[in-house]
Amino acid sequence: MYSLKTAFSSLGRNAVMTVASIVTIACCLFLFGVFLLFAFNINYIGEQISSQCELQAFIDDAATPADEERILKEISALPNVKSAEFESKEQAFENYKAQLGMEYSESFEGMSGSDILRSSVKIVPDDLTLVKQTELAAKSVRGVARVVNREDIILKVVSATDIIKFGSLIAMLILLITAVFIIQNTIKLSVHAREEEIHIMKFVGATDGFIRRPFVLEGVIVGVIGASIAIVIIAFGYNMAVGGVTEFLDVFKLYSFSQLALPVSGGLMLFGIIMGSLGSRSAIRRHLKV
Amino acid sequence: MIEFRDVTVIYDNDIIGLENVSFKIEKGEFVFLVGKTGAGKSSAIKLLTGEIKPYAGDVIVNGITVNTLKNKKLPYLRRSVGVVFQDFRLLPNKTVYENVAFAMEVVRARKKDIRRKVPTILSLVGLSGRAKNYPNELSGGEQQRVCIARALVNSPAIVIADEPTGNLDAETADEIMKLLMEINRMGTTIVMVTHSEKIVNDARRRVIQLESGVVVRDEMEGGYALDVLA
Ligand SMILES: Nc1ncnc2c1ncn2[C@@H]1O[C@H](COP(=O)(O)OP(=O)(O)OP(=O)(O)O)[C@@H](O)[C@H]1O
Ligand SMILES: [Mg+2]
Repeated sequence: MYSLKTAFSSLGRNAVMTVASIVTIACCLFLFGVFLLFAFNINYIGEQISSQCELQAFIDDAATPADEERILKEISALPNVKSAEFESKEQAFENYKAQLGMEYSESFEGMSGSDILRSSVKIVPDDLTLVKQTELAAKSVRGVARVVNREDIILKVVSATDIIKFGSLIAMLILLITAVFIIQNTIKLSVHAREEEIHIMKFVGATDGFIRRPFVLEGVIVGVIGASIAIVIIAFGYNMAVGGVTEFLDVFKLYSFSQLALPVSGGLMLFGIIMGSLGSRSAIRRHLKV
Repeated sequence: MIEFRDVTVIYDNDIIGLENVSFKIEKGEFVFLVGKTGAGKSSAIKLLTGEIKPYAGDVIVNGITVNTLKNKKLPYLRRSVGVVFQDFRLLPNKTVYENVAFAMEVVRARKKDIRRKVPTILSLVGLSGRAKNYPNELSGGEQQRVCIARALVNSPAIVIADEPTGNLDAETADEIMKLLMEINRMGTTIVMVTHSEKIVNDARRRVIQLESGVVVRDEMEGGYALDVLA
């Protein structure tokens, strides 16, 4: 009770600084939230890409239907194979036509799949980093003529997401440290305003925990308010941004905010609280030594 | 109650505050610490609250060895040692009542106990009528009474006072002395630093005299100055 009263009156006394630090925290956490959403969606896209990425093992033209069945079984049993699916010549031909679009369909009149295409097994690997081994293994299956690997693209996507994630992490860390520093300076003002009080508390035997509490609370309140503001802005901003992006990029699906609301707002709130209490603790540490 | 065993205090800049100081103060005693400026009186007082640590030797207060006490435990020692400051150190934005109650609130005393204890202590120090006043509405002597009330309110076994009358005129100082003597009569051990010859000579209590960090005299019912003939 004492703590809560003291915390609020301190915040009121340093209104300008309090508002400034709330705004800063909100900005930092907003960016943090953007990074989080970004990372979540990059991951999601990565998943979508890797589920689309596949090895394709083309089967020798001489293969009988029985051979084809055996090849599918053997490939399915290989390590690092998530799924393997047989595609007949006819299916391949249909897909091919569909990909080229309606306007070319006439040029295929009178043709059938068996004339120009091979049947194949499409392989989705579990772990993209082991795709080379899987390719070799599939090649050594009897009756497989050739294995096509879209590894280059796959690996590029994987490493691009890694770089983005790493960069975001560093930027986030710097932002968070800045925010802690700003809270620390705000709380230092309150500590300074109550130096005499702290000194007396020490002398009459108040514990450090008791002395620290109102200041930590003050920092946490700043953190919570900042986080709430950031969450509200992100919630409104995200769906708008996703709407815009999707117009250009409808190949991939993106998360809707409601899917990410819990982890993102939980994360922001948690960080707000942690930063608030860290900042306060470091602001008062020196004053507890008497 | 208080014991110094071969206590040496050395400050960061190699200045010696106290050197091999030993003495023992029993429960209920009233002891003056005297000596020239820089003799080490404040150093001795600061050891009692754990504000500084000895370089060597043991400081024992209330059965607790202060120099080996963990910082975490220090608050509990301080609750048994009331401190009276020369410059009062009252909170200007709190009333007399609130200043005294503050000392109880911050050690998490119960509300009921605070409401009962604070008025009792205020009447003991003769300030019942000024409970609602702010410190800047009080005379120096009255402010010192508030400070004493604050030191007493958590019922410490010991009260230490570093020049409590240093900022007061002689007459007011006498009144504060009467109050401290009264508190001592009720059983509280008191250790007081003073430069006032008159106070020490009037009181005729135990005197421990320090010079350059060393005890040069420890005399029951002593006077202020070292007896030249003795
Ligand atoms: N924090 C400190 N750092 C360095 N030296 C100090 C410190 N405090 C005290 N001293 C030195 O230790 C010695 C004893 O000081 P102390 O304050 O105990 O004297 P005192 O008897 O209380 O003097 P006074 O009557 O002036 O208050 C002095 O030489 C002083 O300069
Ligand atoms: Mg001194």
